Amino acid sequence: MFEDRQDPVDRIVSHLRRPVQIDPALDGRVMQEIADGETGRRPGAAVVAWRWLIRPRQLAVSPLGALATAAGLAALVWALPGRGARPAPAEATSRQFQFVVVAPRATRVALVGDFNDWDATRTPMRPSPRGGSVWTAVLPLSPGRYRYAFLVDGSRWLADPAAPHARDDEFGAPSSVVTVGGS
Amino acid sequence: MPRSLAAAGALAALLAATAVAQDPRLGRLDATARPLVAGVIDSARAAGLPTEPLVQRALEGATKGAPGTLIASAVQRLAADLGRARAVLGAGATPPELEAGAAALRAGAGPAVLAQLRRSRRQTITVPLAVLADLVASGVPVDSAAAAVLALAASARDADLIDLRRAVERDIALGAAPTAATAAAMAGVFGADALHVNAGARDARPGRP
Repeated sequence: MFEDRQDPVDRIVSHLRRPVQIDPALDGRVMQEIADGETGRRPGAAVVAWRWLIRPRQLAVSPLGALATAAGLAALVWALPGRGARPAPAEATSRQFQFVVVAPRATRVALVGDFNDWDATRTPMRPSPRGGSVWTAVLPLSPGRYRYAFLVDGSRWLADPAAPHARDDEFGAPSSVVTVGGS
Repeated sequence: MPRSLAAAGALAALLAATAVAQDPRLGRLDATARPLVAGVIDSARAAGLPTEPLVQRALEGATKGAPGTLIASAVQRLAADLGRARAVLGAGATPPELEAGAAALRAGAGPAVLAQLRRSRRQTITVPLAVLADLVASGVPVDSAAAAVLALAASARDADLIDLRRAVERDIALGAAPTAATAAAMAGVFGADALHVNAGARDARPGRP
């Protein structure tokens, strides 16, 4: 490729000075690639919108405009449900409550109260499996305040010694009060 | 005269039949109490008051064998108390809140205490009102009971208030003066946060009144 007699530097220079043969269709191919690339990667409307949204901007607001905006937001928050005339919160779901009474020599004991229409047949109490005089009943109760009593052998009324007594006892037989919370 | 007596009897029978038609449970009342109680319940319903507490009070009297006039007067008194409670707590109060509010008013708490409870607590105030009534029933002076409940109402859970009541009753049963028992229970609440201990285990088993 090079003549032996030439100086190496001259040989390199002469090689670099030779005209380069370029394919005549190269320009056309390059321009076609550029055109294809542009049409293939054009972002969608959502991307354009997102870029518009996240692009930082500077807002110029007058003090009066800022005050008006703050007042509008405060009015909106105040008008939300739960403000102003506050509605009473809803009561929660029911929970299991165990009632226990000691009634020696009783043959049957019933739990009666606001939760069972004071019906002595609705909630009979069970004697303790170990025998003795302990009677129990378990009831689901929703949050609230209930009056109740134990009816022993269909005639004798007992208040619950482990619970507050009903203050407004107007019928001459003692009642107790159970309060069920929701929180 | 016999004709007017017959007319009165027919009217009473008609009223009694109407009462039973409105709520079959009222059939357990005697002929004297039934129309009187039905009238009170009708008035309460027209006034927007909860009627179930009135029915239950009448049934309590019937099951306990109380005279009809006594049952009617008890129901009438409860309806009046519910109306007073609603006037203080507002039309948005739930039936349990009104019932507990009526008990608190009957115990001697003033309307201002009920109104302050309503303002101070975002949750339902059924339990604070009930605990207030129970404390007074245990012998705690109304002012001391109201101060204790109001101090806790804003942030305490229902279970904490019920525990407060239990602590006071226990100390009274052990011989403490009601006011001193209330003060000691309050010191326990504000002292070591003791009422929150083991709350999960307590909720997992059936409670006791």
